[in-house]
Amino acid sequence: MRLSKGVFRLNSKAAAFDLEPTALILLLFLLIPGPLLAQTSAASLSGTITGPSGKAVSGATVTIKNLATDQTMSAQTNAAGFYTESNLAPGEYQITVAAAGFDTKSENLTVTVGASQTLDVTLQAALTLEDLGISPQQTQANPQEQARLNKRSHMLQVHQRLGLITTVPLAATVISGFFAGGKRGVTSSSSRDLHAALGSATVGLYAATAYYAIFAPKIPGAKTEGPIRFHKALAWIHGPGMILTPILGAMAFNQRSQGEKVHGIAKLHGQVAIITAVAYGLAILSVSVHSGAAARKAHAFFGLFHSGNSDSADAAIDGALAKAGTE
Amino acid sequence: MNMKNRFTIFFLLAAPLLLPSAARAQNNWTLEKSTLTYHVSHPLHEVAGVSHAARGKGVCRSGKCDFLVAAPVKSFDSGDSNRDLHMLQVVRGADFPMIIVRFSLPESELDAPSIHCNLQIQFAGQTVEYKQVAFQQTIQGKDHHITGTIPATVSDFKIDPPKLLMVPIKNEIPVDVDMTWTPDATGAAGGKSSH
Repeated sequence: MRLSKGVFRLNSKAAAFDLEPTALILLLFLLIPGPLLAQTSAASLSGTITGPSGKAVSGATVTIKNLATDQTMSAQTNAAGFYTESNLAPGEYQITVAAAGFDTKSENLTVTVGASQTLDVTLQAALTLEDLGISPQQTQANPQEQARLNKRSHMLQVHQRLGLITTVPLAATVISGFFAGGKRGVTSSSSRDLHAALGSATVGLYAATAYYAIFAPKIPGAKTEGPIRFHKALAWIHGPGMILTPILGAMAFNQRSQGEKVHGIAKLHGQVAIITAVAYGLAILSVSVHSGAAARKAHAFFGLFHSGNSDSADAAIDGALAKAGTE
Repeated sequence: MNMKNRFTIFFLLAAPLLLPSAARAQNNWTLEKSTLTYHVSHPLHEVAGVSHAARGKGVCRSGKCDFLVAAPVKSFDSGDSNRDLHMLQVVRGADFPMIIVRFSLPESELDAPSIHCNLQIQFAGQTVEYKQVAFQQTIQGKDHHITGTIPATVSDFKIDPPKLLMVPIKNEIPVDVDMTWTPDATGAAGGKSSH
């Protein structure tokens, strides 16, 4: 209700006041919530991010860190390279601009009360792999090769596990062989049967173990170096041995079953079996023990049969490995 | 030769001298030789894989030097080809064939005997930042020889730790760095062109 020029009446159920305009403004100001008042002192920061050629950089991340509170805010540049951030409290800030293909750039800035500040940043092009002489082909992913590597690793892990499992029946077969042989002259058919059964289990597991190594995918260009050369070389001993041993064993088994003394090449069954078992054990050890120590021992071993000079021992072992090396 | 031509020649000769010093200060660095060695620990093995195949460059601009070093994952040799192929599989070396390292240094710190820098390493499909990695520096003539160790771990790069006889390797795979950097003689002329 208008009372007189410049005077207003404020009505309420409780009371009515006659107020001057100045007092009314003051009252309204006091009624504004605190946070809203605080916003009036907040500053804003905006700017444009460009590349070295002056072209706008879109999608750059501008991180604004208050150095006093460690509070960070971030903004992304738009297609025009423009960013903006409001509600900044006055203080010291670190502005960091990062964008793909450009070097990250940081600048410090003092934000003053209520200011609308501008910070334009020019980014420098980052070094790329091409600058190092590395072609895009060299950095390209090769999913086929990764799949081959994955299959290879999986098969060799199975090979490793089966190989370890095979040692159990192998050891049992060797031990039972001492009781199944004919040297003592007193052998039962049951001990021979047990030996034969254990031998069969060993050969079966060995065949499965060998399958996972032989059919593991080969990686083109991969060389064979280190203890794996011993491991593969030993396979040329225990592999044929694992075929020959059961054949000779079957011959010996038949001869003993017919009441004959083991004779002919069947007599070699025990020796071949021992050589096979030893080669198999060494093959496991060659890839299980400390490779450096194994290499040093091997060097020393070959050195004994050579001149004792470490260089010639190296040459001797390299020559031996080259001959034995398989891929 | 007329006066106009003389002025042109004089200007061309004097122009580099007239450029502001900041514009001429651009200084490039090249990685001359390097040895990167990773160490893997297992109860049965202590393995070290070495690469000499890293390439690197550095560009200094406005008082800040940005460096980039890259090495093929395949180039690491532990002396056992079987293990190297397994390593290649575990770190997905065919999917991510390069190890890429970026770091920046203030130009004023390039000659310091001790350098601390934040390394951003891209490896095995992950990007990991190692903060304040310490390196020692010795300078002989033009050569800046830098050594140090990056405290990398298998878990940082989300690598499934390889196992031997069912026992996994230790999480820590520190990488020893031994690099020799030399400044390019080309100066600004050898600077990197903008993209």
